[in-house]
Amino acid sequence: MLIPRRVKYRKQHRPGRKGMAKGGTEVSFGEWGLQATGRAYVTNRQIEAARIAMTRYIKRGGHVWINIFPDRPLTKKPAEVRMGSGKGSPEFWVANIKPGRVMFELSGVSDEVAREALRLAAHKLPLKARIVRREGGE
Amino acid sequence: MALDILDLVVESRTDFGKGAARRARREGYIPAVLYGHGEEPRHLLLPRHEGFLALRNSNQLLRLVEGDSKEMALPKDIQRNPLKDEIKHVDLIIVRRGERVTVDVPVEVTGEVAPEHTYVLDVNSVPVEADALDLPDHVTIDLTDRKAGEHVYAPDVILPAGVNLDLDEEYLIATVDLVIEQDLGEDTDEEANGEVPTVAEEDAEKE
Repeated sequence: MLIPRRVKYRKQHRPGRKGMAKGGTEVSFGEWGLQATGRAYVTNRQIEAARIAMTRYIKRGGHVWINIFPDRPLTKKPAEVRMGSGKGSPEFWVANIKPGRVMFELSGVSDEVAREALRLAAHKLPLKARIVRREGGE
Repeated sequence: MALDILDLVVESRTDFGKGAARRARREGYIPAVLYGHGEEPRHLLLPRHEGFLALRNSNQLLRLVEGDSKEMALPKDIQRNPLKDEIKHVDLIIVRRGERVTVDVPVEVTGEVAPEHTYVLDVNSVPVEADALDLPDHVTIDLTDRKAGEHVYAPDVILPAGVNLDLDEEYLIATVDLVIEQDLGEDTDEEANGEVPTVAEEDAEKE
């Protein structure tokens, strides 16, 4: 599971949700990519679930890249607790995904397998995504 | 295979700034700038549909027609909207007949690696120097029966005649490796949201 090794501060403000992805909007490493068309906080569990869905489908031979990292902690107060008494404790690690971001990349498998693997991965994520191909690819 | 020259009728642009650029886009144009060869930069408007079709290949040689004047140009930089597939702005660089230019061209793979092997391209495109009128649309590498550890370096790239690779000899293009079993994630019940030490805590522990 992806998690930072150490952090400067344990609790952070919620990441901003406005705007479009500033970088990482092109397929850079593999042949196929999964590009976000919506915006969401993607947790490390969701990233892992998407990776497992992809690798289980391609089985052997392919190469998977994960281009996002859950580096922002989200906090949560326990159930049935009155307001106040400070900020809750860190509960999730999330990647702040904005539209245009290529989240996963894939290569070394046939086109049909790549499309299906990325489709399965997209179903594990809390946002809408589309499958894109590297510019200049066959 | 070299690409044909495409004619594109352009207009001069007199309004600048994001407001004018947005107006131009609404009216069906792509804002562009043309420079090179020590000439003053010229600001242009390209027709959106024709410009989009012409710039599907990022190394497409264009003949810009504005009234009686014609100028050959290559796209230097294309700004796109990542979601809508529309072009926001184009930088064009003037080229002359017989001039040699350096452009990035995609790498294509031919042949199958040895059984139970796989490959990873370390670079998707490589810079090549070629005649501006005879630019290749791709270069190839042959991976037929390559085995693990047999890396593909810059001199292994198959280039068309008259094209030079603008890279060091030791520049890695692709790696071949054995097919490895994927981590299918059966035993991933590890701590997902465990405590992560802060920098201050780590420093205090060291002291």
